Amino acid sequence: MPSYKLTINSESISVEASPDIPLLWVIRDMLGLTGTKYGCGKGVCGACTVHFNGSPIKSCTMAIENADGGAITTIEGLVKEKEIMIKEAWIQLDVPQCGYCQAGQIMNAAALLVNNPNPSNVEIDNTMSSNLCRCGTYSRIKQAISLAAKNIKQ
Amino acid sequence: MKNNLDRRTFLKLSSSATGALIVGLQLQSCYRKEEAATQYAFSPLIRIDTDGWVTLTAKNPEIGQGIKTALPMILAEEMGADWDKVKIEQADFDVKYEEQWAGGSYAIILNWDLMRKAGAQVRYALIEAASIHMKLPTNELISNNNRVFHKISGKSMPFEALLEKAALVDLPEEVAFKPVEDYKIIGKPTPQTDVKDIVNGTTSFGIDISLPEMLYATVRKNPVFQGKIKSYNEASAKSVFGVLEVIELNNEDYGGRLLEANSPNFVNGVAIVADTTWAAFKGAEKLEVEWDNTGLRKENSEELFQRFYKQLSETKIERKDGDIHKARRKAAKNHEAIYEVPFLAHVPMEPMNCTVHFRDNFCEVWVPTQNPQAIENGLMKLFQLKPEQIKIHLPRIGGGFGRRYYGDYAMDAAVLSKKFGKPVKLTWSREDDIQHDWYRPGSVHKMSVSLDSQGKVIGWQHILANASRKTSLGRDGRPAGTEIDAYDFPAGFVPNLQLEYGHVLSDVPLGQWRAVAASANAFPVHCFLDELAHMQQIDPIDYFIAFLGPARMVPVLGDYEFDNNRFLHVIEKVKQISNWETPLPKGQGRGFAARKGAGSFIAEVVTVEVEANGNLNILRVDAVVDCGIIVNPSGAQAQVVGGILEGLCAALYGEITFRDGATVQSNFHDYPWIRMKDVPDVRVDFIKNNLPPRGLGEPPLPPAIPALANAIFAACGKRIRKLPIAGQLLN
Repeated sequence: MPSYKLTINSESISVEASPDIPLLWVIRDMLGLTGTKYGCGKGVCGACTVHFNGSPIKSCTMAIENADGGAITTIEGLVKEKEIMIKEAWIQLDVPQCGYCQAGQIMNAAALLVNNPNPSNVEIDNTMSSNLCRCGTYSRIKQAISLAAKNIKQ
Repeated sequence: MKNNLDRRTFLKLSSSATGALIVGLQLQSCYRKEEAATQYAFSPLIRIDTDGWVTLTAKNPEIGQGIKTALPMILAEEMGADWDKVKIEQADFDVKYEEQWAGGSYAIILNWDLMRKAGAQVRYALIEAASIHMKLPTNELISNNNRVFHKISGKSMPFEALLEKAALVDLPEEVAFKPVEDYKIIGKPTPQTDVKDIVNGTTSFGIDISLPEMLYATVRKNPVFQGKIKSYNEASAKSVFGVLEVIELNNEDYGGRLLEANSPNFVNGVAIVADTTWAAFKGAEKLEVEWDNTGLRKENSEELFQRFYKQLSETKIERKDGDIHKARRKAAKNHEAIYEVPFLAHVPMEPMNCTVHFRDNFCEVWVPTQNPQAIENGLMKLFQLKPEQIKIHLPRIGGGFGRRYYGDYAMDAAVLSKKFGKPVKLTWSREDDIQHDWYRPGSVHKMSVSLDSQGKVIGWQHILANASRKTSLGRDGRPAGTEIDAYDFPAGFVPNLQLEYGHVLSDVPLGQWRAVAASANAFPVHCFLDELAHMQQIDPIDYFIAFLGPARMVPVLGDYEFDNNRFLHVIEKVKQISNWETPLPKGQGRGFAARKGAGSFIAEVVTVEVEANGNLNILRVDAVVDCGIIVNPSGAQAQVVGGILEGLCAALYGEITFRDGATVQSNFHDYPWIRMKDVPDVRVDFIKNNLPPRGLGEPPLPPAIPALANAIFAACGKRIRKLPIAGQLLN
């Protein structure tokens, strides 16, 4: 069984796994980090979004062999000051309903705000439209991103 | 309403609990002997600890409707708790809680008095205790912020100092509820109980359960409804690294139909047991299997709808008022139209899953379910177990929308765990979820109306034909269920009215979908009314108000009366806040619909733009809601917005079709759901009153569909009579 090296939430690890197992299932079933969710397995719902070398990716469609040597951040590792401010905006606006998609939403939003600290509504819409929310929390997500952007700037 | 949390039952049941002290008559002597008590359980729902913290039990399954927050808020309000010093614990399934299910927008309706009583009883005990300690009359004491205060002097004592004496108070059966004017917690926007854990990724949903030595499983299901297994090649799946076992799961070998009379316990297929979920999924994909689909109907959508159309002329009358035929002959004008509504899937974000640890004749289950009782019943029958041999945990649920009312993802998990003597987590793929749902039935509606010379509706006929969820998968001659009943709007508002149902048997599994029958029936009813208004060149809201007649209680059936006062109020209000009378630019239009559901009244206006090329933009939605007292305004607003978006989304693109007995759609690429860029601005206005709170999960959804279709007509003159709208407007 091949072995792969990963940095996950700042910790260096190696995992032995079948080369084609998607990162999602390494994270969930092998590393026990269940904050990252399975929603579609096809990269179309965004529930599994993590950061790979700083960029948001759909972990359900990235095989471990293509992730070798990469640095991954999951929702559990989103602990920098600015990232916590994003989570606080989510809490303040009581964003989640069922909550299942929210880790993916926050991961995508956090990456957006790093690259674009002052996103317009259209930019938020375009970026966040890769993440599905079945309960319909979209307008609160949008407000939370704007609130977090404002709080981070101050 | 029955008070199910009977105190004696509770004492008997919970006296076996260790650690916590159960307070009550029968146990007072034993209480006195216990010196070191740190926890005082006043009921199965309320515990106060000597450190000053109040622990409240959230008894119902949390599927995102906010009930894990709302029910404890009611308890906290009545007892005078400090919300910042309250801990909330999710209950397991237990007979002592009764009515532990999520559906029909019933949770607040059924639990309002129950929660208030449980909270008020504890307040009574604490005030009695404070009266002894403080040597003050009880009528001068109030409880607030985890303390009992003397109203005159302002002196106070914390709850924790009162526990010993409060524990000796016999809780009264009759207890006064707090006046609405004194509410401090109810009516205050309150973030969800689990919000911090959700944003940190630490909430455990059912799919996140992990147990030592746990096996991961999935089932390669026969795509054809009710199909069986002919043969399979075990080695083809075992060639996948991580696949451990391959097992045939033929429903007939495991009890057949124990969960529901009209449904198999699980979908026939071949289970793949593995060391990760992914290995199980891959093994299922690689499995070479031949199915046995002999003797099945092998449904096709087109043919199924043809059967629905044919059934329009062979119906049973569900309600008959006056004589529609006489009205038709007398009428100045008769009008009819046929509407068509598709099948829909639920697609909650968390796919179906269940984890079971079956050992020593004890079945422990972690299951995201709206209906734990059904699962317990099924397990009892399947394995000949008694309730005490089953423990069902209720983890937070990643959405339900009616799908998780059915337990067909639990029985096979239990079978596998029993077989291996290890915990098994069985997970469905998204494809399984969409292809083996309990679909919202599609339907055909023939609407006929008779108008007098003034344009007043004197006759109304609604014929609905479809396969009913009540006889889903039924070929056993059971009486036909109906998808329209004698209470359906506008029953009570028209002197000559006939509601008819044409029932078609089908092999498609059918079930409750958010708002159930109203999710389909509101569309033809409220679009047809809009047609009548436009036909006579009358403003659709004015026409609807005239149709409803004066503010009054409208007798509908038996004791049931429709409160037309409250209904007219939300309609008039939505007309005002949506700027209904302000003209819109060319290509834009507003549509209106209003309904009553789960005791709540909702009026909605949708504003759209239809571009010259047929491109549709939903610009804005205004909603006015009267649900009585609003327990948690934050959760209530979320339910209304979510329900409206779900209605719009279903109207825009929702459609499940069948070919050769199987579902065509398989994932979010061909069963799309609304995305942020398409979401309109939804403005919700709540009517403030002190009437008992009513349901909110379902009622916002149905009116959104006709309001959207009516807005499209106002914008471009295209009458939508068939859903989904997708593609119909394009030039």
